[in-house]
Amino acid sequence: MALQYISTAFATVFQPMNLLVMCLSTLAGLVMGMLPGLSATMAIALLTGLTYNFPTQTAIIALLSIYVGAISGGCQSAILLNIPGTPASAATALDGHPLAKQGRGGLAIFLATTSSFLGTFLSVIFVMTLTPVLTKLALKFTSWEFFLLSIFGILICGTITSTESQIKGWIAGILGLMVSMIGLDSVNTVARFSYGNVNMMSGIQLIPVMIGLFGFPEILKAFKLNNDEQVIPSSKFEAKEGFRLMGRNMVKVIRSAAIGVGVGIIPGVGEDTAGWLSYWATKSLSPEEEKKTFGSGNPRGVISVEAGNNACIGGAIIPVLSLAVPGSAPAAVLLAAFYMHGYRPGPLLMTESPSFLYNVCIYIAIASFCTWLLALVLSKGTVKILGIPKKYLMPIIYTLCVIGSYLINYNMFDVKVMFVFGIFGTLLTSLHFPAAPFLLGVILGPMCDSNLRRALNLSDGSLAPLVQRPICIFFLVLIVVMILAQLGVFKKLMGKKA
Amino acid sequence: MKKILTTVMVLALVAMCAFAQAAQEEVYPNKNINLTVPYGAGGTTDLTARALANAMGEKLGVTINVINTPGAGGSAGTLNVQNAKNDGYSLLANGMLAFCTMPINGYTDKTFREWDIWIATYAPNVIVVPANSPFNTIQDLIEAIRQNPGQITAGTAGIGSGGHFGAEVIKSIAGADYKHITYNGGAAAFTATLSGEVQFCPQLLAEYKDAIIGGQVKALCTLSDEDITIAEGITIPSIKDFYPEAAKFLPMGEVTGILVPKGLPESYLEKLDEAFAVAVKDKAFLDFCESKSFSVNVYDRQHSQEFMENFASKACWLMYDAGAVTISPADYGINRL
Repeated sequence: MALQYISTAFATVFQPMNLLVMCLSTLAGLVMGMLPGLSATMAIALLTGLTYNFPTQTAIIALLSIYVGAISGGCQSAILLNIPGTPASAATALDGHPLAKQGRGGLAIFLATTSSFLGTFLSVIFVMTLTPVLTKLALKFTSWEFFLLSIFGILICGTITSTESQIKGWIAGILGLMVSMIGLDSVNTVARFSYGNVNMMSGIQLIPVMIGLFGFPEILKAFKLNNDEQVIPSSKFEAKEGFRLMGRNMVKVIRSAAIGVGVGIIPGVGEDTAGWLSYWATKSLSPEEEKKTFGSGNPRGVISVEAGNNACIGGAIIPVLSLAVPGSAPAAVLLAAFYMHGYRPGPLLMTESPSFLYNVCIYIAIASFCTWLLALVLSKGTVKILGIPKKYLMPIIYTLCVIGSYLINYNMFDVKVMFVFGIFGTLLTSLHFPAAPFLLGVILGPMCDSNLRRALNLSDGSLAPLVQRPICIFFLVLIVVMILAQLGVFKKLMGKKA
Repeated sequence: MKKILTTVMVLALVAMCAFAQAAQEEVYPNKNINLTVPYGAGGTTDLTARALANAMGEKLGVTINVINTPGAGGSAGTLNVQNAKNDGYSLLANGMLAFCTMPINGYTDKTFREWDIWIATYAPNVIVVPANSPFNTIQDLIEAIRQNPGQITAGTAGIGSGGHFGAEVIKSIAGADYKHITYNGGAAAFTATLSGEVQFCPQLLAEYKDAIIGGQVKALCTLSDEDITIAEGITIPSIKDFYPEAAKFLPMGEVTGILVPKGLPESYLEKLDEAFAVAVKDKAFLDFCESKSFSVNVYDRQHSQEFMENFASKACWLMYDAGAVTISPADYGINRL
């Protein structure tokens, strides 16, 4: 039965019209993913309106393709300009941009795009084979588990920065957490730090903060250096080298994909977190001397982030299909679009339209391949950006930063937020504080805060459930080990033995 | 000479722009309209708004962009529209429960009377419990709340959400409090019910209709004033079948519509009237309502105020009597009916 569904799905995709729609949507997704401020969520939302009158299958193909394209496209601007196109690729910039500065931008894009493809592809295999099991796992996550997961995420702040500035990473992370507390809280709807301002009440939006933190310092830096020595020769793909590197790092790709799927199935935790966690896993499992090269252009960093955040696509679709509960923000819009096209994802899906799961999987798999091809073609042009003198490039980026911030809610307040965090980001950079942990704090802060308070509310203030739930214990052990490792306790113990 | 020529040309250009502006203003709408949904994408309000936006946009000949501004129990997005330039290009889609209780929550001084409203749908509350719950009837649940005041957990989409109102009705009938656990939206509250984190969920039927049919949760009763048949052989009884005294709260549920602050020219409003009247008869919209078990419950601009007087009185006083808010509805001229 399954095979029949799969072959029908293939036949549908390869109809000329659908193939064309797929190419156009992935292309649109790639471009939107590259532009900061135009997120995957927005890409799908916009396309949902456009595909309203399309035949159902064509519409579904278009929506899934733009999703895959947008998540994959973000890496190009992260690598070339140090401005992540989507929050999902913020971690790509850590190693991707240094690589580009070394004149290996082409290689970095090749690696990022290839691992995006592999990540998506692997996640589809997870969806096809493990949907029922993973759904059960997703339901094991209650407020306590969410809280510990967010703590775990925040703890990697110290790890995702270069070794000498760990403490500064922590400080930046805490500052990010503090910023995320602004606005009405989601438990009791009490306004915090909003000073009666309606815009502050709805909270500080993530994307303007990200654009400000990453994009703004780049622009200011260009002001400081008014010579042209910054121009980097446009770089080749080094496809041979790329394939060799990919081949050697398959284990990391698979591990990152597993992390991505895992993060994706948990409702409310999305692509951005998946990218950071995969990066952390790869870095902390690397040999000691190699750890130092992370953050200054280690190709493995790029590979794991992109495999991780793309694998999240498959993960996030699992709860959409089986529970009608979206696993990430883009998946939520996708769910709405499915409804609009007459599908009712949820517990009845497998009885009402059993072919839908297979259709979705095949469409995603082919869309990811299509994305890979198109992204490589596109990057032939985009790598040339590196060769453009900064005095022409920076005004364009500046405009993109402003427009991108505005487009999220069509609200000028977000543009002001971008400027404030731009200046703040410049301060951080000039004091050698890393911006990435700050962003991570802003991403995970609300999750940490509301889940802890909800959990305490449920348990009447008791902390006992923390040690009574199996997943909680797993996370607790992981957290303790991580803290000890960062304090260097293990090293000391090993040292004594030796 | 050249300078004068340039100046003249620039002036001419400016004048042309100004005229073009004036000419444009006569037809409404002449550009895309933004429809703010103050909740996340994929929720009940969002889906209803999107279905309406498509059909209304088609009639108006422009695209209606749906913008999600979740946060603050829906008040952030509502205030955004309230404070935006009222030029007819910034509309709001909202659930009336959270909307009409904004003044008594202290979010704004403006009541529903300062808005033009078009009401489209009604979605009833349904009380569900996890499939393995010991509660099999609504009596079981109410009895348990009476026995353990303040202990039985209810998961809702937040303070002032549709689920919160449902839970408050249960509280009035039981005469004892429940433990309110708030989530970021109905989907999260429903997931918590599935996983057994909370003991019951009083959200809207639309949010878990399929899960009821699929047997993942048990439906105990609906707060609609009649029984609802959601699928062959699956009928959810009305709470008044068991507790006739509940009748005064019924029908309880979310009513969703399109709103715009008062003050638009009558010609603009008539355009919107027309588009709305077409949209609520649109096949895609009706199919959508059917699939989600919403009743299409249309009140046009003229009749919605009358409906809202009654609805707001019921909702605001329920919240006030429950002690969920401290500002009296009477302060805003919302009288007890």
